[in-house]
Amino acid sequence: MTIFPVLGKRIRAYGTLVLVVGMLFARGPSPLSGKRGTPEGKTPLHLASMFDFNASGALDDAHFIPPVHVTPVRENANAENTGKAVAPGGAAGLQVKIVDLIPASLSGETNQDSEPFLAIQPANPQVMVASAFTPNPISATGNAPVYVSQDGGNSWVLNAIAPVQRMTCDITHAMAAGENHPRGDLHAGTLACTSTITLGESETIDVSSSTSMNVQSTRSNVDQPFVRALAISNSDHIYVGVNDFNQPGGHTATVDVSADGGATYKSISIEARGTMGQDGPSIRPAVAGDNTVYAAFFGWRKFDGKTATSDVVVVRDDMGATGANPFQALKDPSDNLPGRLVVKGVAIPWSNLPTLGQERIGSTLSIAVDPSNSSTVYVGWADQGSKGDIYTLHVRRSTDRGATWSGSDLPNTTIRNATNIALAVATNGVAGLLYQQFTGSRWITHLVQSHDGFATIQDTILASVPADAPAEQFLPYLGDYDYLLAAGNEFPGVFCANNTPDLGNFPQGVTYQRAADFNKKKLTDGSGKLVPISIDPFYFSVAVIP
Amino acid sequence: MYHSRFLFCSVVWASLLAPAAAPFPQGTGSQAALVQQSSIIFVGTVSQLGATSFADVPKSPQTIVVRVESVLKKPVAVSLKKGDNVTVEAKDPSAFRPGMEATFYTDGWIFGSGVAVKELGHAIRPSGGRPGGTASSEEKALGQIEGQISDQELKQRMASADYVVIAKVTDVRTWTAPNAASVPHRVTEHDPDWHDAVIKIESVLKGPKLKKKELVVRFPQCNDVAWVHAPKFEKNQEGIFFLKKDDISGAPVALLEGTEVSAYTCLRPGDWLPKSDAARVRSLLKK
Repeated sequence: MTIFPVLGKRIRAYGTLVLVVGMLFARGPSPLSGKRGTPEGKTPLHLASMFDFNASGALDDAHFIPPVHVTPVRENANAENTGKAVAPGGAAGLQVKIVDLIPASLSGETNQDSEPFLAIQPANPQVMVASAFTPNPISATGNAPVYVSQDGGNSWVLNAIAPVQRMTCDITHAMAAGENHPRGDLHAGTLACTSTITLGESETIDVSSSTSMNVQSTRSNVDQPFVRALAISNSDHIYVGVNDFNQPGGHTATVDVSADGGATYKSISIEARGTMGQDGPSIRPAVAGDNTVYAAFFGWRKFDGKTATSDVVVVRDDMGATGANPFQALKDPSDNLPGRLVVKGVAIPWSNLPTLGQERIGSTLSIAVDPSNSSTVYVGWADQGSKGDIYTLHVRRSTDRGATWSGSDLPNTTIRNATNIALAVATNGVAGLLYQQFTGSRWITHLVQSHDGFATIQDTILASVPADAPAEQFLPYLGDYDYLLAAGNEFPGVFCANNTPDLGNFPQGVTYQRAADFNKKKLTDGSGKLVPISIDPFYFSVAVIP
Repeated sequence: MYHSRFLFCSVVWASLLAPAAAPFPQGTGSQAALVQQSSIIFVGTVSQLGATSFADVPKSPQTIVVRVESVLKKPVAVSLKKGDNVTVEAKDPSAFRPGMEATFYTDGWIFGSGVAVKELGHAIRPSGGRPGGTASSEEKALGQIEGQISDQELKQRMASADYVVIAKVTDVRTWTAPNAASVPHRVTEHDPDWHDAVIKIESVLKGPKLKKKELVVRFPQCNDVAWVHAPKFEKNQEGIFFLKKDDISGAPVALLEGTEVSAYTCLRPGDWLPKSDAARVRSLLKK
């Protein structure tokens, strides 16, 4: 494989080139044999293809040292809280921003702040809300917190307003601007896990308020709420994907729909076929501005305790799911039932133990619709993949409103030993693919962009961190999901990673709010006392390619 | 500084020794309860009214800025020290004026480049207070109050338990809900992965007399975020178990030597204590 001609055919960030060259020097010449075909017969460069896989199917990069091309900048060097390092623009011509969300005043925290999520206020994208498995930092009985930014993600504070005591055991959220509140409306779906697991669907009109979010709907016996929202006229439409075990007949894949800002919700089962008793945990809605709503889910047909035999199903509604027969616009030609079967009977490993590094696996799924053309929709998931793989990602696309799908994975989207897939589509049609790949010794967080269905790609490494530290406190280690959005000319998103303040781990640079010494690669509590490393949530934004 | 420490000690000790006569912080009826509710307690001087100490905190007539003189209580994770400016959302901002010293009993609000807190109560520190007291004496006094609170929490835990026993785990086995269980088994990442621990009772500290010297304790073995703080058990583990009848697994019975018996749970952090706490637990039970 000749690398430079390939690069000549591809849109590449300078940072990726540097990274690749760095790997060449770090690894020597042997691994450059991973050639990957495309429908066009081209050989696009993909970082994963350049590694050797070991016998277990994991990438072996024990000697991989990400190149550093950033300049640490100390701000306010006399202050105690000096742990800030920024990159001078990341890769050439590519605007990349990465920020550790932990604020300076919580520099002493050592929590496993995993499973991140992000919402952006559409009317004012400077206002953002993120979340993770972050406990209330001061109280076992106070509200669980969310992270709030009012400056476009440059700085973040923690505000304990989630309507769950101390810490959620699932939280996602979305912001819609239908009701015109400057720091709202934030709509959240939370799980409280005490003796029973209880869903709360809640709202606040001011994310900086000291008042707890208002719970608008609650019920037990559900799993993994996933919230999307859309402003329609002066109202917020909210779509919460949940695995609702209260649904009869094992048709548990459900979308809770509210057309009145959360005042009322209607629970709609979107599973039309027989299941093994339930569907998979991930039910993912995606909304377009023209009132098109898609949802993807795993239709579990069999389960043997270790593997789910599953269909990947996509449903669609063209009226915001407010009509008489919601989510029945797509029917599969094989049985004429609602829900198009993108793939049938794939084997999805289910393990609630550390399996992919220190992470569990079993239900990573994402769907994204083109905001400018709701006929184009992408879906991505993970399954058992080829022999030797632990967990393999796939992405498919439909350009006819979900009626037909690409018959095989889009080029460059069959990704081995990876999880936490998140898709988004920018207004110019560029698709973004966020994922985290386990290499055997590191977790590498990728953001891949493409304007042609991933035939050509730009792959930006956001983080490459040691996978063996810190030790898992609980599962999920990094999260059962991370998240990617499209906002204007940026792909903003969140991921979780080892928080060692080492610029070698962040090829695009990084900003820490918490106290950190990048020279010694140590965290401190702000007064000089060393703090152990842990898992932190990181916000990022990457400029959309033209 | 010494003035403030002396005053805090006075307030703390007075509340301990003669609660009715103590100069309680405004807005509270019980200082012990206030200390319990407060996650951050500090002595500070009001510097600005209707202001905030860092961006991202909404400014309002209720917000005041206070310069920290000393920190009496805070979680380890929070960075807060003498000289820091803190935003306090005051319950009654008219009670403050610039230059006023007070002990602030607060709960956290916003954590960013600085700290913003919500006032739960405060004790004004009049000028001209007598010097005296030391930081260690303040901490000792506060520690004693918190010790009382901890004992109170333990007593509440004992009161709510069906059994309090000192016991040793003799066996641990997987438990699967029967088909007739009221909570059917679901495949979810939050599945507790119930296990049964058989415990051999050394002594019953609370609860009816047992016919057999064994009980079954059902516990979540799963390390999912939902169950990470629930006590987990291994064979030969000894300790004090605060047990409640199982009302969560969906089938609150277990088999013990072929006989169907009630299953118990101890799910909250602190529902199991090491055996070294036995004397303390026995002492509190007698009170």
